[in-house]
Amino acid sequence: MQLPNHPTIFSITEEELDLDALLDSITLHSTGAAAIFTGMVRGVTSRGDAHETVYLEYEAYKPMAEAKMKQVADEIRARWQTIEGIAIVQRIGRLYPRTPTVLIACTAAHRDTGVFEAARYGIDRLKEIVPVWKKEVGPNGEEWVEGDYIPKPGE
Amino acid sequence: MTRVKVLLFATLRERVGGAKSIEVDLPDGGTIRDLKMRIAKNIPALEQNMKSVLTTINREYAFDEAILPDGAELAMFPPVSGG
Repeated sequence: MQLPNHPTIFSITEEELDLDALLDSITLHSTGAAAIFTGMVRGVTSRGDAHETVYLEYEAYKPMAEAKMKQVADEIRARWQTIEGIAIVQRIGRLYPRTPTVLIACTAAHRDTGVFEAARYGIDRLKEIVPVWKKEVGPNGEEWVEGDYIPKPGE
Repeated sequence: MTRVKVLLFATLRERVGGAKSIEVDLPDGGTIRDLKMRIAKNIPALEQNMKSVLTTINREYAFDEAILPDGAELAMFPPVSGG
């Protein structure tokens, strides 16, 4: 269910993410809480296979990626009817450490009605079903990062 | 026979020298499994990828048994890694 005044924004973009503008676009007069997740390029990884990253090169199957982002937003609304606005934006192209690459934001009237969980669900689902890939370029070479999720029929 | 065009992304695209798509001839009524087998045979650079590749028909995930509809938009790519 999506009320007509409940905004849903989803896009693949090569532009810099404007976190303030995105938050503004999903804030209603009735909104009192927002959970914003943003991921950025990590220049130094110490967990697991420790390595340095010079930059990441993102690529998307844009029309399908935007359709799947819409699907993720629909799934969020089906699970948390309290959510007012949803923004899901993935930046692509060559992105350097400290640069925000993705944003998932959800708004609601109050903080205790699922906004945190909804944003968490959104980023987890994006990483499962939205067709975007990144190539990691380090000091000693480059490598495509591949996920490990195999979508099921209907996803 | 029908000639189908398959969009490629990420690793798959690099394996074929950056081509955004490939074309493959398939018998009418072919399935995704047939398509993968044909690609593995005709394009050795992609043979390994065919084991783990994800396939879509008209921007929806599709599986080995699915029959390829006429004029469908087909794509192949590795498991996604956005975020």
